[in-house]
Amino acid sequence: MRNAIYPALTAVILVGAWYLAVLFFEVPRYLLPLPGEVVTRLIEDRDFLLRHGWVTTYETLGGFALSIVIGIPLALLIVSSSTIDRALMPWIVLSQTFPKIALAPLIVVWFGLGLVPKLIVTFLVAFFPILISTIVGLRSMERDMDELRLSMRASVWQTFWYFRLPLALPSLFAGLKVSVAFAAVGAVIAEWVGANEGLGYLLLTANANLDTPLLFAVLVLLMVLGMVLYHAIEMLERLLIPWHATIRLKTGQPSF
Amino acid sequence: MTAMTDVCLRRPLQRPSDAAIALTGVGKTFLPSGSEVVALTDIDLTVGDGEFVAIVGSSGCGKSTLLRLIAGLMPVSTGRVEVKGHRVSGPDPGVGIVFQTPVLLPWRTVRRNIELQLDVRRLGRSQHGKEVDRLIALTGLAGFENSMPYELSGGMQQRVALCRALIHNPDLLLMDEPFGALDALTREQMNAELQRIWMETRKTVVFITHSIMEAAFLADRVVVMTPRPGKIREIVPIDLPRPRTFETFRNPVFHEACDRIRSLMSASGLME
Ligand SMILES: Nc1ncnc2c1ncn2[C@@H]1O[C@H](COP(=O)(O)OP(=O)(O)O)[C@@H](O)[C@H]1O
Ligand SMILES: [Mg+2]
Repeated sequence: MRNAIYPALTAVILVGAWYLAVLFFEVPRYLLPLPGEVVTRLIEDRDFLLRHGWVTTYETLGGFALSIVIGIPLALLIVSSSTIDRALMPWIVLSQTFPKIALAPLIVVWFGLGLVPKLIVTFLVAFFPILISTIVGLRSMERDMDELRLSMRASVWQTFWYFRLPLALPSLFAGLKVSVAFAAVGAVIAEWVGANEGLGYLLLTANANLDTPLLFAVLVLLMVLGMVLYHAIEMLERLLIPWHATIRLKTGQPSF
Repeated sequence: MTAMTDVCLRRPLQRPSDAAIALTGVGKTFLPSGSEVVALTDIDLTVGDGEFVAIVGSSGCGKSTLLRLIAGLMPVSTGRVEVKGHRVSGPDPGVGIVFQTPVLLPWRTVRRNIELQLDVRRLGRSQHGKEVDRLIALTGLAGFENSMPYELSGGMQQRVALCRALIHNPDLLLMDEPFGALDALTREQMNAELQRIWMETRKTVVFITHSIMEAAFLADRVVVMTPRPGKIREIVPIDLPRPRTFETFRNPVFHEACDRIRSLMSASGLME
């Protein structure tokens, strides 16, 4: 818990600087509201904000889940078959060098304003980090370990279960953390392109009305959403792979 | 020359049962990118049951490749490899391997790492519980059963790897520079312990090293290899009583053997 003091202190300083800057430079309120006004707005409009926040949350989680459900099996296929690898990988890489966001309007044209286009856009943005990190993880077996499992006559299934899968988890979790952040971006953008609810939609309306306190309130919610999702994955990581080096270094004793 | 006559005289006498390993005319050629790499050629070697054979040679002369061929991890290009009278055509159940790195699974405790061999071979963890305990005691790991690999020193990790290589009770123990990454002191200690373990278990051991002293200290016979292409230059018998101790390092026979091996290795160096 003591670790929380430092970021909290940073926040206090930043909010203080914000407060002073608004007063000192006499920034017009429609450009930059006072922190207090944002907090008031968050409290007054909490039901309304939470309703829209919930929409963005399930779009994000839905797209993220879709990325996992498609990304991990696809990685398994690509790792287990060089034919599939050679047939698909160039296209997947090409699809990622292409700005996926540019597809969002087309997807709205095809699928309308419902949940489906949101999930598709979120998936398009979020699945690549999962795919790549799973592939890298599954291929991270060194020669000695490969020979060890050969000498034990491990079956394909045993090789996967005893060696490749656990070895892939650290990389997979790194990918999941990147992906979940991307997923929130994807959901907001999908809402910008065509929606009548959600935090992205609120941003646009607040923007149109020059309602900066609302803008800031939504940004705060997006920040909270991102943080919660990220830390949820980190907790899961700690639970599943406590042996992993980066975690070990963080919780380990200082060496001097 | 002595090596050749040694092998030639022995071969007709060898029956499948008394030769743990028999290599005849073994060669291995790699084709990494079009151009051939002849890693091994004309290897003839028999290793008796319960014998400790060390293989020395400079880096790249094909020692690891030879070990992999015996282990059945890759096929020979020419010749044949027999283990216990049976032609090797894949990883043999009667083989345990210790690699240069411990290759422990970081998510398993010491005990569970040893049991990996049982899990993968479906040998039943519960039936072998006593055997795991015995090996843990034998290798001085008692008290560390539940430690994670990262909590152990390099020497301790390699002991775990040794237990894992022995737990399925193989006839053959293959070791590829197992102590190469350890500091000199730990290494000497591990050598003494390996000898003790070998004397208790009487496995057939093929031990690869590039340390002449280590080879001469441990082995009944030292196979000296020369590079490009990898060949057996000579087999040097080490006629020293067991158990060998720190006294052995002062024994003139030990020094003679070391000098012989060194001159064989440097002569091949001049030939390049
Ligand atoms: N899988 C492989 N593919 C291609 N060349 C290899 C392979 N393994 C070993 N070699 C080559 O065979 C030779 C012997 O290698 P190795 O058996 O590892 O030697 P050592 O263990 O004595 O250092 C080297 O020239 C090496 O480059
Ligand atoms: Mg080697």
